[in-house]
Amino acid sequence: MSTCPKYIIEYMHEYLDGDISREHEQVLKQHLKTCTACQEHMHQLSDTVAFIKSASPVTAPPHFEEEVMKRLPKPKNRIGVQK
Amino acid sequence: MDALVKKRIKQVLKGDQNAFADIVSLYQHKLYQICYRMLGNKQEAEDIAQEAFVRAYINLHTFDQKKKFSTWLYRIATNLCIDRIRKKKPDYYLDAEVEGTDGLNMYSHIANEDPQPEDAALQMEFQERIQYEISRLPEKYRTVIVLKYIEECSLQEISEILDLPLGTVKTRIHRGREALRKQLNKL
Repeated sequence: MSTCPKYIIEYMHEYLDGDISREHEQVLKQHLKTCTACQEHMHQLSDTVAFIKSASPVTAPPHFEEEVMKRLPKPKNRIGVQK
Repeated sequence: MDALVKKRIKQVLKGDQNAFADIVSLYQHKLYQICYRMLGNKQEAEDIAQEAFVRAYINLHTFDQKKKFSTWLYRIATNLCIDRIRKKKPDYYLDAEVEGTDGLNMYSHIANEDPQPEDAALQMEFQERIQYEISRLPEKYRTVIVLKYIEECSLQEISEILDLPLGTVKTRIHRGREALRKQLNKL
């Protein structure tokens, strides 16, 4: 892979971002057909994305809203000021 | 959701503090999640997420109501997280010499039988491991990776949240993915 053009890895990331041009995608596909090192790199990147996406959603603890409301500065008395 | 948020914002701006509770309720989990993934600690995440809402409340009059509220709110939260991470940086380094010990450094103080980071990672539960790997990322990559893959923000949104050009966001995501890939494949 050390002899592969650097832009191949750039194209992999463009592909993963979903904004690869048709020309770049063709070049990438052709290259991956013949280069096992780059295939491996591409697999590792896809696995990395899958790994991070498998994080379970976390939720705020109970009473979070109540705690925030307690931390707010006291409202100014606007009665009589509003039109 | 947008219509409700707009209505509540107007009510808060008119002095109805209670209207803010609905805004907190709508965004609490998203905001807490960003903070938790950035900081890797529940107590800190709770504190910073609460602080973000308090700041949003105080500065609500500066929010441009033509824009997306979540973008503005996420920006407050990510800035607070980044500040916290920078403050947390240790003021000593492991390879710095310990005073008066003639060449000993902090590494010498760590027992040899302590598991190496890679072994430690292998013993973790899967979810714990994910958080561990996120925490090992440098802060500027961690932020974009969390926004992109945990919060599922678009590149354009990330660029607005972080006030960075789109090109910079892309570069950071690319480098963040490479950094994670290297972390994961060292095992």
